[in-house]
Amino acid sequence: MALLERAEWYDIARATNWTPTYVTDSELFPDVMSGAQGVSAEKWEVYDEPYKTSYPEYVRVQREKDAGAYSVKAALERSRMFENADPGWLSILKSHYGAIALGEYAAMSAEARMARFGRAPGMRNMATFGMLDENRHAQLQLYFPHEHCPKDRQFDWAHKAYHSNEWGAIAARHAFDDLFLARSATDIAVMLTFAFETGFTNMQFLGLAADAAETGDFTFSSLISSIQTDESRHAQIGGPALQVLITNGRKAEAQKLVDMAIARAWRIFSLLTGPAMDYYTPLEHRKQSFKEFMQEWIVGQFERSLIDLGLDLPWYWDKMIAEFEYQHHAYHLGVWFWRPTVWWNPAAGMTPDCRDWLEEKYPGWNDTFGKCWDVIIDNLLAGKPELTLPETLPIVCNMNQLPICAIPGKGWNVQDYPLDYNGRSYHFNSEIDRWIFQQDPVRYRDHMTVVDRFLAGQIQPANLAGALLYMDLAPGEIGSDAHQYAWVEAYRNTPRNKRIA
Amino acid sequence: MAMFPVISNFQYDFVLQLVPVDSENSIDEVAAAAAYHSVGRRVAPQPGKVVRVRRQGAVEFFPRTARLSETDIKPMETLEFIFCDA
Ligand SMILES: [Fe+2]
Ligand SMILES: [Fe+2]
Repeated sequence: MALLERAEWYDIARATNWTPTYVTDSELFPDVMSGAQGVSAEKWEVYDEPYKTSYPEYVRVQREKDAGAYSVKAALERSRMFENADPGWLSILKSHYGAIALGEYAAMSAEARMARFGRAPGMRNMATFGMLDENRHAQLQLYFPHEHCPKDRQFDWAHKAYHSNEWGAIAARHAFDDLFLARSATDIAVMLTFAFETGFTNMQFLGLAADAAETGDFTFSSLISSIQTDESRHAQIGGPALQVLITNGRKAEAQKLVDMAIARAWRIFSLLTGPAMDYYTPLEHRKQSFKEFMQEWIVGQFERSLIDLGLDLPWYWDKMIAEFEYQHHAYHLGVWFWRPTVWWNPAAGMTPDCRDWLEEKYPGWNDTFGKCWDVIIDNLLAGKPELTLPETLPIVCNMNQLPICAIPGKGWNVQDYPLDYNGRSYHFNSEIDRWIFQQDPVRYRDHMTVVDRFLAGQIQPANLAGALLYMDLAPGEIGSDAHQYAWVEAYRNTPRNKRIA
Repeated sequence: MAMFPVISNFQYDFVLQLVPVDSENSIDEVAAAAAYHSVGRRVAPQPGKVVRVRRQGAVEFFPRTARLSETDIKPMETLEFIFCDA
């Protein structure tokens, strides 16, 4: 029997809206789950997904992708990547897997919500495949690190991180709960697929794929390239949803969702991808600086997608671009200094050559972040490593759950952005973070940061040991300098020009 | 006598930090407690200078000998710690 071409039957097969008779339409699609924003079912039916596929096609292509990724892994199992790779590269793998693997699982739930409660048949169709995609991503990124667990317990955090109260895991959960899980189908289409995926996942998945190939880790490179091909398909769920909202007079609502999601995504990626690209990746393997990458993908490309859809740039756009210069440097310094509290070994990325590269890519780096690192280097040279370790907690932002930090040294601009709300004081990293809170205070107000929990007596004993216990970081998992301070030796006989900041 | 947590925004450092002090500490003692977590760790010492304390955004410093409980500083308020000529 001859088969029809997909284009000949797709539109009819996709038309899966019907008029319910046993329940009302609002019971079938409760607003809290669909987030239709008062736009009627008929108006949602014009939603036209730009990427069309059928289930048999999907399964065939995905099977090939999986076979590709798994066979590269199998073929390279004896390549001794683990033994030969720079420790900084292994740290990228550990931080990536821990932060991302179960985030994919959350994304699967989010896609499932669109598959069930999406108001547009096309959205439900696309999201069904998206749900299967995200399940694949979670499985791959749990399976691939697993082979390293017997050699290095930190790889176990691919699965463990989200089940712990480690601060980075709290930050990731807070953001992903907000963008993926505790949202309606329409909100998810806008916040997860459009803002987070179209805008930002390239950052982690294309940027790191390039660095992985350069580094010679072809297993990881092929894995995340494989994942990215799914992302670039299901990320297209959000665009047509935004068109429906804008056409039906809901631009302001849509814009707000986009603005909140971009701001939240930017924080996650500046923590995760920024240090990976500018510090952990060995100097000779770096393709672009994180800032250059952001400028190309966010300013160059994503900005155009926003405008083409008829949206405005977020009100904070210039502020965010200004943060490309410093926020990830501050997060890197924080992660390195508080290194016992992470499940990977931060690579300082601080040889004299690295600093020259940083100064070239970020003019003024030596006079700002370099000033803090000078003190750290002096302490390590003087045999006082204890002064390079923390004895208190950083203040954590009530929105992004990351330390409130900015530029030190000559450009010192660190500032708290406080807010008193209902008798409680909140602290934010920037005007942008505070603005997100103010859009929906009821949603965010009861969450307690690590510092709030510490002050409430939930972390016992109230010291670093208690904090490590609270974060479930066991011996063998606690982070330390990736190169065991070998990089400091380059400074021993060539003292840096020291001046008081 | 009561535990009194403040937030340290220490000049030239990169991050806000939690500094638990006592309500009966003097402002100079609060400054020393904040310095402990910044100076010599990420901020170079400045011999001959004294660290003065002010509310974030303020111009005026708190008197150095005032007790914390005598000021209107609230727990978990962000204070700036600034190097000044002695
Ligand atoms: Fe994914
Ligand atoms: Fe995805």
